Amino acid sequence: MSTVTNDPIRAYIVNEFLAGEDAEDLTDDFDLIESTVVNSLGLVRLISWISETYSIPVDDIPLEPAAYRTLADIRGFVSKAAPAAV
Amino acid sequence: MAAEKAPDTYGITAPYGDELNDDVTHWDRIGEFPHDKWKPLQRSGLFTLPFAPEYGGAGRTLTETMAALEGLGHTSRDAGLNFSASTQIVSVGIPLQAFGSEELRGRYLPQVTSGEAITAHAITEPSHGSDVMNIRTTAVREGDEYVLNGGKMFITNAPVAGLFLLYVRTGKPGAFGLSTFLAERDTPGLTVGEPLETMGLRTSPISEVTLEDVRLPVGNRLGSEGAGFLIMDYVMKREVLFSFAVNLGEMTHRLKRVVEHATTRQQFGSAIGKNQAVAHKIADMRIAVETARKWLYDTGLKVQQGKDASLDVAATKIVVSEANQLTAQHAIQIFGARGYLTGTGIERELRNATAGSIYSGTNEIQRNCIAALMGL
Ligand SMILES: Cc1cc2nc3c(=O)[nH]c(=O)nc-3n(C[C@H](O)[C@H](O)[C@H](O)COP(=O)(O)OP(=O)(O)OC[C@H]3O[C@@H](n4cnc5c(N)ncnc54)[C@H](O)[C@@H]3O)c2cc1C
Repeated sequence: MSTVTNDPIRAYIVNEFLAGEDAEDLTDDFDLIESTVVNSLGLVRLISWISETYSIPVDDIPLEPAAYRTLADIRGFVSKAAPAAV
Repeated sequence: MAAEKAPDTYGITAPYGDELNDDVTHWDRIGEFPHDKWKPLQRSGLFTLPFAPEYGGAGRTLTETMAALEGLGHTSRDAGLNFSASTQIVSVGIPLQAFGSEELRGRYLPQVTSGEAITAHAITEPSHGSDVMNIRTTAVREGDEYVLNGGKMFITNAPVAGLFLLYVRTGKPGAFGLSTFLAERDTPGLTVGEPLETMGLRTSPISEVTLEDVRLPVGNRLGSEGAGFLIMDYVMKREVLFSFAVNLGEMTHRLKRVVEHATTRQQFGSAIGKNQAVAHKIADMRIAVETARKWLYDTGLKVQQGKDASLDVAATKIVVSEANQLTAQHAIQIFGARGYLTGTGIERELRNATAGSIYSGTNEIQRNCIAALMGL
């Protein structure tokens, strides 16, 4: 599980949405929304966490659920909006 | 004690204690905002604390601001005024600094940090209180403007406020359709209702705010369209930390008063505090106060460090508001009939404490939130 500790976004999702569950299936292209791992309340929290953790101005935060579908999607926009962070 | 953690901010309102505490019983009875007591708060620099120096701020951290508000709660017996003061810091200033355009910040933040413009934030609606993500007041874009229609309810400071932050719907139902706008009081179509009569916090005026074809320039929007829930989340975390830090100071003062009474009031030939029934109540008060302190500063630090603190904030809100109610209730019992009299100010503290389990998201909603965060 070294990836969990090295990747704060993955760690956050595992800790907050998959606590106590086997996180092995959480590959970079696992669909977080379709699988309902992240529901609407979770999405709101995830976006708030990303915005605060990476100090990304709200204007640079995508506000549609599709942008948060997979770990790869999330990392994609975070690395664009806050290149030093990821 | 927070006083040891940040003594420089904890004591900033202490020199103004006499002015702040002048005839608190009278102001509570008439239930009006004490304008003259706002001035010592302005002079103290309280409103400048968490803001950047270029806007007249003192550039202090979140926990230093909490310590100052705790100090206010310890100094001032006017919990309504204290609540209005924490609302002043958090309602407009905090989101404006974090999400406002340079233009908006430059124009309005100095008025907030000086306390010249009293501020309010309007989220709750008559039909949507707890169900906040489904508020109905709308803002429809027309060219370079938005046209706002709807109504807000129970808005702290509204009767005396010059600046309002309005949370409204610009898009689809649910969280992603919310946006946030700054409005001046005299904007045509924005009407503030008469102050509503309340049980406690009577010097902190609350009222309805009606919006009828209120036209605001696009530039008055904070953040992008749809970012309202993000701003709300950011603000509510800080609202809980700031307004309940005030309660911590109030409780600390209450505890001191109770100990003093329990050690001096004699019955059956000894101090009433020598009775286990009384002493245990005081021990429970101490536990409640210290638990509140730990939750507040632990959560404050987490938020300050940018860690996810959603569950912590919800728990802090519950712990501190319930500690405030418990300690106020115990204080009345320990003061006996004297606690029941208006003149001693003890009964006022129970009335004031009652609101804490309602505002900033009711304690039921906070428990729902904790349960949801635990996957229930
Ligand atoms: C002193 C004071 C100051 C305030 N200041 C402001 C302000 O500045 N700005 C602002 O926008 N608002 C403000 N409010 C309003 C406050 O945010 C609301 O009162 C609060 O969100 C609850 O809404 P409501 O009163 O409509 O109660 P309702 O939502 O009608 O709830 C009534 C009761 O039902 C319970 N309930 C509702 N839904 C659920 C559920 N799903 N599960 C369990 N229980 C539930 C609630 O917990 C509550 O006990 C203030 C309120 C007070 C008392």
